[in-house]
Amino acid sequence: MAKRKQAPAETAKRTEPVKLSSKDKKTLSSLVVMADRVVEAAHKAKPPAIDIPSRSLSNVRFNKAQKIIEMGGGKNKRELFNLSQAKSYMQTMLVGSGCKRLIDEGKTTSIRGLYYLLKHTIEGTKEETFNDQAECDPVIEDVEVALDALREELHLYAQTKGAMVGPIEITDSGDEIDCSRMGSGGYAIPSIVEPERIQFRKHAAKFVLHVEKDTVWQRFNEDKFWKKHHCILTHGGGQPPRGVRRLLNRLHYELKLPVYCLLDNDPWGYYIYSVIKQGSINLAFESRRMAIPEAKYVGLRSKDYERCGLSSSVKIRLNDTDKKRAKQIASYPWFEHKKEWQKEIQQMISNDFKLEVESLISKDISYVTEVYVPQRLQDRDFLD
Amino acid sequence: MSGEREEAPASGRRATAESMAAQQRSISVSEFFTKNRHLLGFDNPRKALLTTVKEAVDNSLDACEEAGIVPEIWVQITPTNNSRFKVAIQDNGPGIVKKQVPLIFGKLLYGSKFHRLRMSRGQQGIGISAAGMYGQLTTGKPIKIVSKTHKTKPAHYFEIHINTKTNSPDILNGKGEGEDIPPGDKGQAYCQKNEIEWINDYPLENPEDKPQPIASGTRVTIELEGQHKRGKGSVDEFLEQTAIANPHVTIHYWDPEGQSRTWRRATRTLPPEPKEIKPHPYGVELGRLMTMIKEQPTSTTLSAFLTENFSRVSAGVARKICETAKLSTRSTLKKIAQSDVDKLFQAIQETKIAAPATDCLVPIGEPLLLQGLYQVVPGEFFTVASRPPAVYRGNPFLIEVGLAYGGTVSTKKVNKEELVALLNETDARTVKQFLVSTFDGLGPDGADKIISASGIGTRQNPSKLKRTEVEELFTAMQDVSVSETQQMQLYRYANRVPLQFKMGDCLVTKTASSLNWRSYGLSQSRGALPNGPLTLMVHVASVWVPFTSESKEAIASYDEIEKEIRLAVQTVGRRLSAFLRLRSNIRQEGERRNIFLRYLGEVAAAVSDINGFNRGQLYEELLAVAQKKTREADTKLDKHGKRVTDEAELNSDNVLIVETPLLAGEGLSTGGVATGKGQVHDTEAVRSLKKKGAPRAPRTKREKTKRTKR
Repeated sequence: MAKRKQAPAETAKRTEPVKLSSKDKKTLSSLVVMADRVVEAAHKAKPPAIDIPSRSLSNVRFNKAQKIIEMGGGKNKRELFNLSQAKSYMQTMLVGSGCKRLIDEGKTTSIRGLYYLLKHTIEGTKEETFNDQAECDPVIEDVEVALDALREELHLYAQTKGAMVGPIEITDSGDEIDCSRMGSGGYAIPSIVEPERIQFRKHAAKFVLHVEKDTVWQRFNEDKFWKKHHCILTHGGGQPPRGVRRLLNRLHYELKLPVYCLLDNDPWGYYIYSVIKQGSINLAFESRRMAIPEAKYVGLRSKDYERCGLSSSVKIRLNDTDKKRAKQIASYPWFEHKKEWQKEIQQMISNDFKLEVESLISKDISYVTEVYVPQRLQDRDFLD
Repeated sequence: MSGEREEAPASGRRATAESMAAQQRSISVSEFFTKNRHLLGFDNPRKALLTTVKEAVDNSLDACEEAGIVPEIWVQITPTNNSRFKVAIQDNGPGIVKKQVPLIFGKLLYGSKFHRLRMSRGQQGIGISAAGMYGQLTTGKPIKIVSKTHKTKPAHYFEIHINTKTNSPDILNGKGEGEDIPPGDKGQAYCQKNEIEWINDYPLENPEDKPQPIASGTRVTIELEGQHKRGKGSVDEFLEQTAIANPHVTIHYWDPEGQSRTWRRATRTLPPEPKEIKPHPYGVELGRLMTMIKEQPTSTTLSAFLTENFSRVSAGVARKICETAKLSTRSTLKKIAQSDVDKLFQAIQETKIAAPATDCLVPIGEPLLLQGLYQVVPGEFFTVASRPPAVYRGNPFLIEVGLAYGGTVSTKKVNKEELVALLNETDARTVKQFLVSTFDGLGPDGADKIISASGIGTRQNPSKLKRTEVEELFTAMQDVSVSETQQMQLYRYANRVPLQFKMGDCLVTKTASSLNWRSYGLSQSRGALPNGPLTLMVHVASVWVPFTSESKEAIASYDEIEKEIRLAVQTVGRRLSAFLRLRSNIRQEGERRNIFLRYLGEVAAAVSDINGFNRGQLYEELLAVAQKKTREADTKLDKHGKRVTDEAELNSDNVLIVETPLLAGEGLSTGGVATGKGQVHDTEAVRSLKKKGAPRAPRTKREKTKRTKR
């Protein structure tokens, strides 16, 4: 780290001492512990290493009682004096120092912001500390699990992705927001939606409909589906970010609203459902705050091509990755024993094509909002 | 013959027995060799020049060693006209007594070495007189000899023609008696007056020193038709290789272009004098056995004949032989019939006789071989190995092997002027041919690489290259890395004499090519010598080296010799592979350190940002851990958990490693906080690798062997 970065930080501290919350103090102390271990190892002339809980399939287990994915006790050692790990070790320490600075200054930044904050050329070389953000993001997640601190506790947030609309009034950082009066764009779901920041005031919703992406959400919003069916309509722009998942979780548990998902009929859509329902493998440590084991899968289904009488031109052929991924998903422990799901995935593979939600437009522009979803809801025709 | 007679009509008989008899007469050796000069190494002008130098140098070295004088040799080649050269070789040997001079230089097959079994360079006594004869044949000029046996006694000067009919010398000067040159200053004046060449004093080490007169010695001058060309099979190469195998010799060389070069001795200790041995019964053929019996007084008993004329034959062994041959030990040679000799010969083969004594062999010795190799071949790794003496066909022999790794490729050793000269000298038809034949170890692949990099046509005539093309070729030769495609250079020696021709026919080449060098970490095409910047020298020392021909260019195949060569080469091969492993480990360690070093500064800064610990101190501490860590990573453990170090194998007297910056293992020891010096060192190491071998002075050595002054 270059010196120039420290100077402004110190002046800021002097002029305006930042009040640290108790959470901040806890995070800071665990950061210092991490740093102290390096010093300690160096004193003892031992190679410094940091234990990072493993974020892979092998280190998650499915809690059958609670129906969520939990992280196991497996840890990976990250060593400074290991050729393949030296750089990521250095990056881990850098992220730690960056978070420490954010907390000291009482500011939050996006993960992209942190990437820029830490990115510089290593002195005496032509090498960058981080080549791109994709290199930085996993390291941030590593620090989260290693310190057992949530992203917001590290004063970080992700890029805002996802929107919400519906008969609900909330307070966001003190501002009152009526989500039924958000026009065509909806309320952009922020990255941090913890109760300290967002409070639910009142609502008239009976359920939450989560759709996969913006285009489908637009259709529902334009058709005022949420008004007609008294629901909260959200989307997560593909794989929903943590803010969206946490908000769905809070809507489900705090307001007792059932959550229904309308996703593409492809492995990607299946996995989005899986993540909403029992948590992700990558962020298994967050499942308790995010997973909604009661969430239901509305569609699209492998049988919809025939059931809805779609034209053959909407078929998208499965490629090899799709097939591989479908088989992988089918073998996850939380899908393994669900006959309906096994049948569903098997049928998609034998269909040899996938369907996007948008394909229903080929029937009629508002087929999805006027026929498809209402019928499924009425018949309670879901996959669980 | 019978066929001819049938076809020829009776009336037209071409010749009668009588007329044919008129043409039948004995052939003198000289005449025979005049016609078959290729048998003696005078096939072409270029080789003739080399053979002449070689024969003279061999004789000089043999003479010096026999007399116990530390040899110093002067070789002067001066062009007299277009294709003629005057070759003069002078030594500081014992000199030759007046009576013997004409015979030694003017009679073929006259010498002291043929009849005895003793390790020496010359064997038959043909060499130098054949060179004189060749000179006489091509230029008509006599062979000139100056010989001085004592500081205060007159030297003798002879000009000799060989009478090829009678194989005898004709002395041309001093009314057929030769001339005497008085000793001292008078002699110098006499020489000057009569245009006799003689070097009076040793060259001065310091200009202030008093000149040291040469007390005795011989100088041979032969004028002959020859061709001077550098590169493979040249005089330069011969002298260089001679210097490797004879570290006790100093050679001064003036080449035809007036350039001089000196190979200085690495030691003043002479090799011990080789002992003469009696022939071993197993090595004697039937014909030779018969001759030996004839040469003895007829009253000698069979037992006495066997015990006195052969080595390792005791009275007991003699009795056994006689028993097997069903002959009486007490019968005199007079009674031994032709058929009995045959029986005796068979009996010898069937009797178990101890191997001959091997103390008659004088190896170069590992330390001296190592020094010789180090002084002449540029490189970074040198190793030598020798085998205990062994026996083939009753002749003791001994194998010594040296190996050098690294060094500059021969293509990078020439400068532009030399290249132009070489291009003009060559008789190669294409550039590729030129490159392959001129530069040792380059090989066709390397030549192709150079040619394609230079952008000139492959089939270009080398002497017709344009100036710019020569320049491009030169640049390509400097730039293109051919160390991978370059083939191992093989130096073959027999009794310390380098063998330069008929490489393919030689047992040494065959053996070296048949080994699997890939297991030593080198690349090798099937059945070929391995590739890489390698020089292998193999020395076969024996009382009788089996050559494939009289020109002494290749060693004949004997299983016993092949086995010994193989074992010795394998020994140095293993050491080389240990060195290569060590080197690649060190290189890897350097890379590893660089990676760590790069990140240490960042880690120290980040940690100090978090907990406020002193950044500089932390960096130093981490640096220490890094050093320890990288060292540990390179320590291998064997099956029993003990450390395996290649160093152990390399850490012996017969290995010499020249330290390059890369091997010195810099990188971590220097540098402050996050200086990132690793990269700088990296490039320095690479650079110094590239130019390795160029300057010899700043080198340091790791090994105990004392470095001699240059």
